Amino acid sequence: MSVLLIAVMVAGCSKSNSTDKEGEKTDTPTQTEPVGDKSTDPGTAVAEDTPTDGGTLTISSFSDIVSANPLFIQDTSSGDAAFFMFANLYDLDREGNVAAEPWSLASEKPEISEDGKTYTIKLKTTAKWSDGQPVTADDVVFTFDAIRDPKVASPGISQFDKVDKIEKVDDYTVRVTLKQVYAPFQYVIASAIVPAHVLKDVKPEELLKHAYGTDPTKTVTNGPWKWTEWKQNQNLTFEADPSYWGPKPHIQKVIFKIYADQNTEVQALLKGDVDLTQAIPVTQVEAVKQKSEINVVLEPGPLYEYVGFNFNADNFKDKFIPFSTPKSRQAIAYALNRQGMVDNVLKGTGKLMNAPFLPGSWADPGDAVVNYGYDAEQAKKLLAEDGWVAGSDGILVKDGHRFAFELQYNAGNSRREQVAAVMQQNLKDVGIEMTPKAIDFSAWVEQNLTPGKYEAVLLSWSLNNPDPDGESIFSSKYFPPNGQNSGWYKNEKLDQLWVDGYSTVDQNERKQIYAEVGKEISTDLPYVFMYQYGLPEGIGPKVKYEEGDRPEPTLPYGYFFHINNWWIDSK
Amino acid sequence: MTEYLIRRFIQSLFVMFLISIVTFALIHAAPGGPTKIFLSPGLSQEAAKVQAHNLGLDRPLPEQYVKWLGNLIQGDLGYTFKNHLPVADILWPTVGHTIVLMGTAWFLSMLIAIPWGIYNSTKEYGWSDQSASFISYIGFAMPTFWFGILLQELFALKLDWLPLSDMWTIEKEGQIGDLLLHLVLPVSVLTLGFLAGYVKYARTSMLEVLEQDYIRTARAKGVRESRVIYRHALRNALIPIITIIGLDLPILVSGAALTENVFNWPGMGRLFVEMALAREYSVLMAITIVTAVLVIIGNFIADLLYALVDPRVQLGRKGGTAA
Repeated sequence: MSVLLIAVMVAGCSKSNSTDKEGEKTDTPTQTEPVGDKSTDPGTAVAEDTPTDGGTLTISSFSDIVSANPLFIQDTSSGDAAFFMFANLYDLDREGNVAAEPWSLASEKPEISEDGKTYTIKLKTTAKWSDGQPVTADDVVFTFDAIRDPKVASPGISQFDKVDKIEKVDDYTVRVTLKQVYAPFQYVIASAIVPAHVLKDVKPEELLKHAYGTDPTKTVTNGPWKWTEWKQNQNLTFEADPSYWGPKPHIQKVIFKIYADQNTEVQALLKGDVDLTQAIPVTQVEAVKQKSEINVVLEPGPLYEYVGFNFNADNFKDKFIPFSTPKSRQAIAYALNRQGMVDNVLKGTGKLMNAPFLPGSWADPGDAVVNYGYDAEQAKKLLAEDGWVAGSDGILVKDGHRFAFELQYNAGNSRREQVAAVMQQNLKDVGIEMTPKAIDFSAWVEQNLTPGKYEAVLLSWSLNNPDPDGESIFSSKYFPPNGQNSGWYKNEKLDQLWVDGYSTVDQNERKQIYAEVGKEISTDLPYVFMYQYGLPEGIGPKVKYEEGDRPEPTLPYGYFFHINNWWIDSK
Repeated sequence: MTEYLIRRFIQSLFVMFLISIVTFALIHAAPGGPTKIFLSPGLSQEAAKVQAHNLGLDRPLPEQYVKWLGNLIQGDLGYTFKNHLPVADILWPTVGHTIVLMGTAWFLSMLIAIPWGIYNSTKEYGWSDQSASFISYIGFAMPTFWFGILLQELFALKLDWLPLSDMWTIEKEGQIGDLLLHLVLPVSVLTLGFLAGYVKYARTSMLEVLEQDYIRTARAKGVRESRVIYRHALRNALIPIITIIGLDLPILVSGAALTENVFNWPGMGRLFVEMALAREYSVLMAITIVTAVLVIIGNFIADLLYALVDPRVQLGRKGGTAA
C-alpha cells in the first residue's frame, strides 16, 4: 500500500515560485472551502478555552524518515520531521505569500532590487542553534553554497541554477544575485538552513554520509522542538527546546509514530493512540467522520492528477500518434466524466482543474481557461471533425489507424486503478480504445518516465511551493532524460510564456501572463488536467487551536500550519 | 559425527556462497536496481550520478560483489544507501522483535497442538478431534491479516481491552507486563495459523504409526495402552513433526510481514517490505543472507533432533536411517 503514497511524493515536481506584493491579490484562495465539517462535528479542534502548555502530540506517519538534514530532504516524512526541528528563513502565510513570521529566521521579507535580480536576506540577531551558537549569515552562505556544489549532490541543486553569486554583507545580512530575473526564487530561499560551525569541515562529497540528520545527538537544530530520539521504523521524538529563541510552542513533546499499514493508522486515530493523521484513505473517511470527536479536514492538498500524452512518434506503433491534434485531445477531455470520478472515486475530496494552477490560487486564471464538462456528444463531434470514422469493431479509424492507446500508471495505486477503469469506459463510449496498464513504480520511473517512453500516463505532480511557474515540466527545454517534460511536449508560444512568467516580479503582470498560459494550455492540452486532490487530514479531540491557526492543506506542510500555536487539552 | 558436522559445514558454506551470488545478481538485475536508486523524477540526473559515485555504485558489478562479500565475511553488513546507517543497527533489533513475537506464537502452538493431536489420534472423530478439525479449517482458510483486523476491531476498539498495535506503549517501553498485553492479539492470530497445521500433522502422524505392526505386537504382548502411545508410538510419530518444525524455524526470524504490518510490530518481515519499497538493497541482501543461514541451521537442527528421538538414525551414514 505504501507504493501509493511514495508514487505521488517521489513524483513531486521541483517547481519553484514566487508571490510578491500582498495587496495585489484579488482573491483569498483559501477561504473557498470550509475547513473540516464544523456544522456537523460539535467536537472540532477549534478552541473553546485558553492555550495550556505541556502535553504530547502524537502524529502518525506512513513511512520512516531518510535524513532530516535539510540539504538532502526529498521525501515527505523527512520534510515533516525537519518542520519541527528547523526554523525556516521565511515562512508562508495562509495565502501562500513569503513572510517573515516571529518564528522565521529572517527579520523582514526579502528585499528585492529594482531590476529584480538581487535578493537581500536580513536575519534576526536573536536566533540561535540548539548548541547555543548564533544563527548568522555564515550559515546561510554555507547552506546555499553546499546546495549549489555538485559534489554535495543535494536534490535542491537545480533550484539554484539561476544564481550568480551569494555574498555575506555582514553577520546578519546575505545578498544573493541572480543571472536573470526569476520570480519563483523567493520560495527557494524560504527554506531551512544548516549550521556552518558543525558542517564546514566536512568534505562536500562526505556530507551525505555524515551523521548530521540521522543521529539526533549530532543534529544541531534551530527550531521550536529538538530531536531527542529516532527508533528506526518505529518512532521519532521531539521535545520543546528550552533554549529556543523564538515564541515558545505550547506543545511539550511531539512523537512521530510510523505505521506500516494505513488501516491500522486510521484505527489508531480512532482509538486515540495518535492525535493527528495526515492521510486518511478516502475509503475510510466516512468511518472516521462518524466518530464525532475527530475533526476531518477535507480540503485537497497542493497536488493534482493528470493524463499526460506523449508526443514522440517513436513510442507508437507505425509512428502514428492517435491524439496528435488538439481536437482529438479536446475530445478526450470532453469524453471523461471527471466530476463523476471526484464524486465516486475521491468521495468528493477533489476539485476539477483545466490548467496547471491550483484552483483558487492567485495565478488561477479562472474563466480564462477552457472548461471541459462531461459531454460525450461534443467529444464525438470533435472526433468526426478531426476525420475519425467508426470502424467495424466500433473503434474509430483514421487513415487506416485505430484510435487506440495504452495508459500507464503505477501498480498498487487503487485510486488510479479506479480512475483508469472509468476512463476506459468513458473513452469506449466515444469510440476510443484505451488500455490501462499498471507497472511497478520503480520500474516505471526507470523504463518509462525518465526516458519518456510511453503512450500516455496517469500521474500526479505535487507542488512544493505556491508559485505557478511550470516551465520545468512543460517547456521543450526540459526533454527527457534530463528534464521532466517526459511527454516531449513542444509549444513555442508556451515556452516563451513560461519564461515571461518568471522574468518579472510584478505579480499583476505575472497574473496576466499565467492567464494567457492557462488559455493556451487548456486549448492545446499536453495533459488532460484531472483534479486537485489530497488525502484528508484527521485531528483527534486532544488537539486544540484558534481558528486563525487552523491547518491549511493547500500549502506544503500546511497540515502543520501554525502548529507552534496549537496546544494539547490534557483533560 | 565430527566428520558429518565438518562435511555439513562445508556444504553449508558452499550453499551460502551460491545464495550470495544469486541474491546479489538478482537484485542488481531488477529494474530500479541499486545503480538507479537515486533516479527519481524529483532529483536531477547529475546529482543522482554524483551520489551513486560517492557510494561506489558506479563500479563494475564483480568488484562491488567482492567488496560486499569481503565485508560480509568480517561481519560487516554494510550501510544503507540513502542515509548511510549501519545495516546491522537496523536489522538486528528487528530480528529480536520478531523472535519474541513468532517464538511465543510458535511455542504456544506446539504446546497446544502436539498433545492435542496425540489425544485426538486416540479418540478419532470424537468431539475433540472434530473441533480440532474445525479450528484447522478456520486457521487455514482465514487470511491472517484479516483475522487480525477483526480482533483489533473487537478487542482494541469496541471493547478497549487490549492495545491496538505496536510492541510497547511508548512511555512504558521495556516493561514486561506492557509487552505481554501487546503480544496477546498478534500471538493469537499467529498461533491459530501455526496450530492449524501442527495439530493435523501430529494427529495424522500418530495415526499412521498406530497402524504399524509393532504397535499391534506391543498391544498383543499386553503392554499398557499409555505406554504404547507415549513410548512406542510417539517417538516414531515425532520424526515427521520434527521435519516440519525444522522447516518452520526460519519463519521465527524472517517474520510474518502481513501480521507485523497489521499490528505494526517492528519486526523483520515488516522491515523487509519497507526496505523493498525504499529500495535499500543493502538491507534486503542482509535479510536474505540472514534468512538463508537460518534455513540451513534449521535443517541442521532438525537432523540432530532425528538422532535424538530415534537412536536408529545415524548421522553421516549413507542412506541415513538404516540401522
